Amino acid sequence: MPTLEQPPAQGEGRKDPWGALLERVGKHQDKAAYHELFEHFAPRIKYYAISNGIASHAEELVQEVFIAIWRRSSLYDWRKAAASTWIFTIARNQRIDMLRKVQRRSAEMAVETEDLWQIPGEHDDEPVSSLHRLTSERRIRDSLSLLPQDQVTVIAKVYMEHKSHQMVADELDLPLGTVKSRVRLALNKLKVILQDENL
Amino acid sequence: MTRHHPDSLSLMDYSAGALSEPHALCIRLHLEKCVHCRSRVDTLNSLGAVMMEQQPDVTVSETSFEQLLARIDEAPAPLQNDAPRLSPLQKLLGDDLNDLPWKRQLPSVSVVDISDRFPDQEERVILQKLAAGGKAPAHTHRGTETTLVLQGAFSDAKGVFNQWDFVVLTDQDVHKPVALGHEDCITLSILSAPLKLTGPFGRLLNPFIT
Repeated sequence: MPTLEQPPAQGEGRKDPWGALLERVGKHQDKAAYHELFEHFAPRIKYYAISNGIASHAEELVQEVFIAIWRRSSLYDWRKAAASTWIFTIARNQRIDMLRKVQRRSAEMAVETEDLWQIPGEHDDEPVSSLHRLTSERRIRDSLSLLPQDQVTVIAKVYMEHKSHQMVADELDLPLGTVKSRVRLALNKLKVILQDENL
Repeated sequence: MTRHHPDSLSLMDYSAGALSEPHALCIRLHLEKCVHCRSRVDTLNSLGAVMMEQQPDVTVSETSFEQLLARIDEAPAPLQNDAPRLSPLQKLLGDDLNDLPWKRQLPSVSVVDISDRFPDQEERVILQKLAAGGKAPAHTHRGTETTLVLQGAFSDAKGVFNQWDFVVLTDQDVHKPVALGHEDCITLSILSAPLKLTGPFGRLLNPFIT
């Protein structure tokens, strides 16, 4: 059976500052708020592109992500995802899109990236009940700081370098089983693991 | 609520955008019906956000923001929450799975190969239909087979798999599914290697399963 989320403590789950900025962009096309978001997230998105092996397209990815942020910020709902999570999923999707365009050998794809990877809160009619979404980033930050570095390294490679567990194992010269168990240990602490999964 | 879920490593690969399109599709369709896995993916997306934030900054071109301002003035209007989208399954396969060009392989087993819907992938993607009450011949898999139940239900030695259940079979599993109930069971499967047949029907199926 699933591991249940801890309910958020009282007083948690307020709008984060980036979420407030996103709302100003979405509701009022506020360019000052947009600029603040750019100052904070653009350098990180550029690094994300470089570490994902598309350094020559890094500035382009920053542009595409921020155009998407401008157009979609009206759909952003702070109750459904923290701003940085929402921006991460947009950056991830734009990166996938860019790779699909570069690698495309044939005609149009039948499904778009967003059919396969949704942006949280969009086209999503479930009631706003997932209070844990609001606090999950804070919880993850706290949990991550307690994880051994070797576990964090493996996770960072999957997220930042777009590598499969096998590629991470090859690169770190570790058995695949070791890589997987490090990730599982970390995800267990982050409460993503199902109880019936083998550790 | 489905009983059988993707494992956490697959969900992490999904959240990281490191899965192939067919595998992402299986997870996406499962997520649509599984509130629990949606919550796991929410957490993993937050993990991705924290990972992205913890990396070093690199300087962005000085003109980048000006370029953006010029572009947003010309960009299409901000999106409104538009009409519900077609599900990815409808986009790929139309409204009725039963209208697809099924090819009967055995009295109770029909198949459609949809690998060509994913032109840039190496994997083999098929739909399999097991007629209500029908049995498929026992087989193992040389690689792994990732399966999502799209309609009906089946059972095998590992248990009962209902609609939207997710199951991964490896070369260790001898798999002999039986369709349950009064409905044909339709599954979406991604094959990483050809099937290996273990039963007397092996030769019959071999031309198809290569």
